[in-house]
Amino acid sequence: MRSAEITAEPAETRQLSLSFLRPSRSAVIGTLAVLAFLVLWQIAPTMGWVNGRFTSRPTEVFVAAIDIFRNDNFLYHARISLTEFVAGFALAIVVSIPLGVLLGTSKIARYLIDPPLMALYIAPTLVLLPIMVIWLGIDMAPKIAVVFLGAVFPIVLNTMAGMSEADPRFIRMARSFGATRFDIFTRVLVPGSLPALLTGLRLAVGRAVLGVIVGELFVSQAGIGYQLNLYGSAMRIDRLLVYALIVSAFGYTLTVIVRSVENKVRDWRSK
Amino acid sequence: MAQIEIRDLGIDYRKPKSNEVFSAVDSVALSVEKGEFVTIVGSSGCGKSTLLMAVAGLVSLTRGSIEIDGKQVTGPGPDRAVVFQEASLLPWRSVRGNVKFGLEMQRWNGGDLNERAMQMIRLVGLGRFSDYHPHQLSGGMRQRVNIARALAVDPEVLLMDEPFGALDAQTREIMGAELLRIWERAKKTALFVTHDIDEAIFLADKIVVMGRNPGHIKEVIKVDLPRPRNEAILDSDAFHELRKRLRAHLAEDMSSMQLVQEVA
Ligand SMILES: Nc1ncnc2c1ncn2[C@@H]1O[C@H](COP(=O)(O)OP(=O)(O)OP(=O)(O)O)[C@@H](O)[C@H]1O
Ligand SMILES: [Mg+2]
Repeated sequence: MRSAEITAEPAETRQLSLSFLRPSRSAVIGTLAVLAFLVLWQIAPTMGWVNGRFTSRPTEVFVAAIDIFRNDNFLYHARISLTEFVAGFALAIVVSIPLGVLLGTSKIARYLIDPPLMALYIAPTLVLLPIMVIWLGIDMAPKIAVVFLGAVFPIVLNTMAGMSEADPRFIRMARSFGATRFDIFTRVLVPGSLPALLTGLRLAVGRAVLGVIVGELFVSQAGIGYQLNLYGSAMRIDRLLVYALIVSAFGYTLTVIVRSVENKVRDWRSK
Repeated sequence: MAQIEIRDLGIDYRKPKSNEVFSAVDSVALSVEKGEFVTIVGSSGCGKSTLLMAVAGLVSLTRGSIEIDGKQVTGPGPDRAVVFQEASLLPWRSVRGNVKFGLEMQRWNGGDLNERAMQMIRLVGLGRFSDYHPHQLSGGMRQRVNIARALAVDPEVLLMDEPFGALDAQTREIMGAELLRIWERAKKTALFVTHDIDEAIFLADKIVVMGRNPGHIKEVIKVDLPRPRNEAILDSDAFHELRKRLRAHLAEDMSSMQLVQEVA
């Protein structure tokens, strides 16, 4: 009985090592579907099913992409947008994590700030964009502000939830070994709330990307959103699609990275 | 002098959402000698955990006092370690990380933490599993880790609250025998709460039988079965005798519980 218990390997480790060797059925079907769509898209305007001026073609988009990377000052615009994103996001992290920790560990602070915070989280922070422009001008500053506002609330709220929902049994266990309040904070509350914090970061990424693009679309002199505006008025579907792809790829990659860290950290919660 | 001296202990809780207090434990007196294995039995809700947590220094006393080696208990201390009733392993730490946790909290300076932890993990038979995380372990293995964590800090007194409560009967028996083996080597004083009558007898030098409303000690029964013990004693006459006595106690408690329910 006891030896059986000890020789038993957890099943997961074995499953895991094999699963990535053979592509899953969903991946095969997904790839085929995308290929079929591209072919259809390519021939549809030629066959006269749709107006190519409004749909463009995969080949045109490909050429536009090469053109954009070569001659469109792409790096300049991307750098501006990225700077706005990073500055706003970093600011949000610096403010929101301590705030979330404070709110999560202090009931009084939570009662005081929770309702307005929730309201701000639910309201689309983009409604504040015109005000930001009036206050901060049309340069990078209002976009940084909008990114900050979009990212700060999901991080605060999730960090707060992670902290305040810490398992009281763990806290009692720690106390039984003579843990100080500081020990409990660093060794129980912080690691325990890490998955929630990462969830907050992941939700914040989407909102922050949206903030940059909409901010630049609204009023700007440079950046990816500015380029979108430009090609929008010129009806350059091919170029618009390239930029749309770049923006989604950026947001998607960041989200996937955060999620994979999140899953790793959350592994232990699976059972 | 006894190692643990509990005098006239009373613990009141405030009922949730009202100012009413109710007594979870009252007028409890108990002394435990150094190296003694004491089991505590009683029906659910009679205050067994409360008593144990009071000795651990995790709940405050309303009346009376608890002394350990002549020192008043005012909070948790390195002289005691608890094995909790529920899951209390940190899920983000490996087996070794969990066993190290108590050592870290107590700022242990008796040598290398990793080595100490590994020693304890091997003692409970989990040497090959030191890098596993709690969710990869069976219930029985998790309780071994809990025990290893408590033993690692080298306490004078080991406080165990139904550590095998969630296990099936067979695993429970094995774990009980295992615990005795460890205890006989480590020579700790042990307070062990359980629902299981056989377990209570098998492990004990003395059994504390508790009753309810409020929680109090009904009887303390000496167990003079020879040590080291193995499964064979489960069939001895002395064991049967003790089992009968404990059954009678608990049945009495059950019927009084039913009476209360009928009246209410
Ligand atoms: N923190 C608390 N606040 C209020 N009442 C409590 C608290 N903890 C326990 N009680 C009450 O005290 C009484 C004794 O509880 P305790 O947990 O000590 O019982 P127990 O004998 O360990 O029961 P079980 O065998 O089910 O674990 C119960 O009536 C319980 O409802
Ligand atoms: Mg209990």
